[in-house]
Parts: sequence; structure tokens; C-alpha cells
Amino acid sequence: MRTTSKIAAVALGTTTLMPFLGAGIAQAADGSTMATLRPVALNGVQASGTAMVTVTGNRIDVTMAASGLLPDNPHAAHIHFAAAARHECPTASDDKSGDGTLNTTEGGPAYGDIVVSLTKTGDTSPKSGLAVDRFDTAPGGKIQYERGSINVSSDVAQAIVDGKSVVVVHGVDHNNDGKYDGNTKSDLDPSLPTEATDPAICGVLAAAPAGGMDTGAGGTSTTNNEGMLALGGGLLLAAAGTGVFTARKARNRA
Amino acid sequence: MAKRSMFGDRRGTLAAAVTALLLLVGGALVVKVLAAPGAPPQPDTSQAQPTALPPAPGPGPAAGGSSKADPTSAGPTSARPTGSTPKGTSPAARANDFGPLLGPSDPVALRIPSIGVDTKGLVSLRLDRTGKLQAPTDFDRAGWYVGGPTPGEFGPAIIGAHVDSKAGPAVFFELGSLEKGAKVMVARKDGSTATFMVDRVARYSKADFPTRTVYGDTGGRAELRLITCGGAFDRATGHYVDNIVAFAHLVG
Repeated sequence: MRTTSKIAAVALGTTTLMPFLGAGIAQAADGSTMATLRPVALNGVQASGTAMVTVTGNRIDVTMAASGLLPDNPHAAHIHFAAAARHECPTASDDKSGDGTLNTTEGGPAYGDIVVSLTKTGDTSPKSGLAVDRFDTAPGGKIQYERGSINVSSDVAQAIVDGKSVVVVHGVDHNNDGKYDGNTKSDLDPSLPTEATDPAICGVLAAAPAGGMDTGAGGTSTTNNEGMLALGGGLLLAAAGTGVFTARKARNRA
Repeated sequence: MAKRSMFGDRRGTLAAAVTALLLLVGGALVVKVLAAPGAPPQPDTSQAQPTALPPAPGPGPAAGGSSKADPTSAGPTSARPTGSTPKGTSPAARANDFGPLLGPSDPVALRIPSIGVDTKGLVSLRLDRTGKLQAPTDFDRAGWYVGGPTPGEFGPAIIGAHVDSKAGPAVFFELGSLEKGAKVMVARKDGSTATFMVDRVARYSKADFPTRTVYGDTGGRAELRLITCGGAFDRATGHYVDNIVAFAHLVG
């Protein structure tokens, strides 16, 4: 009995300490990052968005907003990273197939693999990368997404803080018929058309500015003026002194 | 002899010369200070809170640098009724009030008629090694943060400029007198103009700067931040101790 309670006490103590320990160890990986999401080259989506990822140890909190996407269809959204990737959004030269559009695989050399799936519910691992039933469906073409406390590996946390990860929102209606279709199958899942998984908007998560700005040299500050006024006054006072001396000298000689 | 008696000996002449010099320099300094434009205006506390309801970013931090750390609660995201649940249920009902948006295009000029700002040739601003946003090296230019959105895009576009140089007023000397409701026009490289309306103007201590409120997510709106210096000038560091920040949102 006593042993169990002791164990319980120790366990309790450990769990209470855990957050602090975790915070201490992971200090290096803390930071706020933001991405401006812009249309992926060649895919012609007139959409835009913004994403903010705050890293606290191995935990990330994500907010994302986007507009101009194909309405009422699931838009898979991920954080991508690979050590070997270029840590940027793909460009037209990444179209290896030469078909005039970029699919997710073609974007790989630019942004790497899926490391976090930005699902609305449930699992957020790469395994949920195409869990189309759990991604935002962009009513009105708009997404407003918020999800906290997503666990990531230390490597991924570090990559995000270092500005090496990329947010990609997928789903492109190439033929503008209001739905994902077409004969080309997805390079990720042959049961889906490529329209459902092609990258639509993309942005690199980069460190947000921290702290204020130094935007003044003090030329008009009151403290500066007070100093000058004191100096000027002092000089005038000294002038009075030397003036009296001069006058006295002159009178003596007269 | 009479000439000699006027100024006595050489000591007298010297004293007269010194007197004249002191009068000249001392007088010039006093005149310069009195003729100077005075200290830059500071925002009134009444300007620190937004008036309009829709863009209300919650209980904004008080002016004068008394803000507490980095209140996420001041951000629009957590001002939602559902703010207590950090779940990823993006409420569809909220998904329609983003307001106007523009595509990406670099800013080339800035105009704020109400405080007489009209400046062309914005320079690029970047972060220094500590993550701090660097000010323009040119006191006569405003700069914009190239790592963030361009003015008119989603998120907080950032334009900063000096309040003064060592010699006198600079581009954002009057920013502290900017008022809620004022219009800010940003001309962009693509020929379009992004027009913003000022929501509030606040002063924050640099030592306790609300990084997230100023640079963080805007909850899906195109917004603008105008930043300059304010408060007292610390002669030891050569910097002002506060920042003045104007918050604005895109209206067209």
C-alpha cells in the first residue's frame, strides 16, 4: 500500500515537473513563425492566405486563413519539410513532367515531405496527409483554421523555427468546373483525381519579427533640447561674467 | 591712449573677445532650441482603443507601455466566442468576414494626408540576427518588412520609419498625432493603391513590446502596421524607449 502511494507521489511529482523540464530542454526550438501563402506557380489558383505557427518545445499552435480556393471541396493542408529540400515554394522549373502544372510530388524538391497534416480533428501525423474527410472544405472559398497543441518531433520543431518548413494548401480546379475531376490521377492516391491533391497556395514559415524598432536618433526629443537649452543658458551666464570682468578692466584703465 | 583705455590691456581684450563668443554660441543654442519643432507628438490614450466593432481586436493593451507581456487575448482570433476551445473547428459562420484583399505587390509609396506624410521609394526592411526588425538607414525613407505580406495581402504588412534624425524631424515625426478613422494610402508596384483605415494608435514600451499583437496573425484580414519611436529619448543607448504603433485594416 505504502509503496503504491509512494510510486503515485513520485509519478505525480514527475508529471508536475514534466512541463518545466520539457520547456527547459526545448528552449532552443521556441519561436513564432509566419507564412504568406501565395499561388503555386503554374497552377493558376487566384487564392491567398496567411499562416502562423508558434513553436513551444515539441508543441505547435497553428492558425491559418485563406481565400479564393475552390469552395465546398476538401483542401488538404500540410506543413512540409525535408532536410534535403530547398525550403521554398516550387517554381515553374519544378514541372519535371512538362505538362504545364505542378503536382505534389513535383513540388517535393522545393518543400519536402509532409511532416504535419493540418486536419480539423484527430490525427495530425503525415499518415493523415490525404484524410480528405477531416480537412477544411473552404465554404465560400475561404478557410479559417485554428488548431493548438499539435505534437511534433524535435527535428520538425527546429526546422519550423529555423524557417525551413513550408505550408502548402492543396486542391486545384484546373478546368474550372467547380469540382475535383479529370482523367489524371493523383500522384499520391490513384483513387483521387490530381486536382484534389495538386498544390494551390504555398508559403515558407519564417521567423516573425520580435520586439520593437529603433526608429529615431533623438534630434527632436525634449531631453536633447533640454540639454542644449541648459548649455546655451550656461554659456550666456558665463558671457555675463566675462562681460562684467571686461567692463571692470575698462573702467580701471579709464 | 583713449583707445587703450577702452579695453585696458591684453587681458581685457581677451575677456571682451570671450564674452562676444559666449554670447554668440550661447545665444545661438537657445535660439535653435526655441525655434526647434519641439518634441514629436505622442498618441492620446483615447486613440489606443478601436471604436469600430467589427475589427475590434479585443481589449487592446493600454497606451504608455503598460501592456502586459504579449496578450494573445488582444488578437482577433481569441476574441471569438469560441475562444475558449483551442480545437480546429474553423467556424464556417466566421469565414465570410475577411474584408477586401489584394494580390501580392510591393509597396512603392505611402501617403497619410491627415498628418502630412507623402513619401516615395520605400526601402526593404529585414530582421537582424536577434530577430528584431531593422529600421531604414535613411532617415528620409519609410521601409517595409519584406519577410511579411505586402500591403493589401492577408496578414499584417509592416511599414516603419524614423520619428527624427539627429538634426530634426523625419518621415514619421507626426505619427503620434494620427487618429482613428484616418486613411492611409499605399501605392503598389502593380499600379494599384491599397487604402487602409486606422483602427487605433498606441504607444508601447520597447522593453515590453507586444510582439504578437503587432506582428501576429490578423485572423484573416489584410492589415497594416505603421511603426515609429516614441516616449523618452535615452541618451545612454541613443534610442527612444517606446514605440508608437498605428493599426489599420484594408478598406479598398
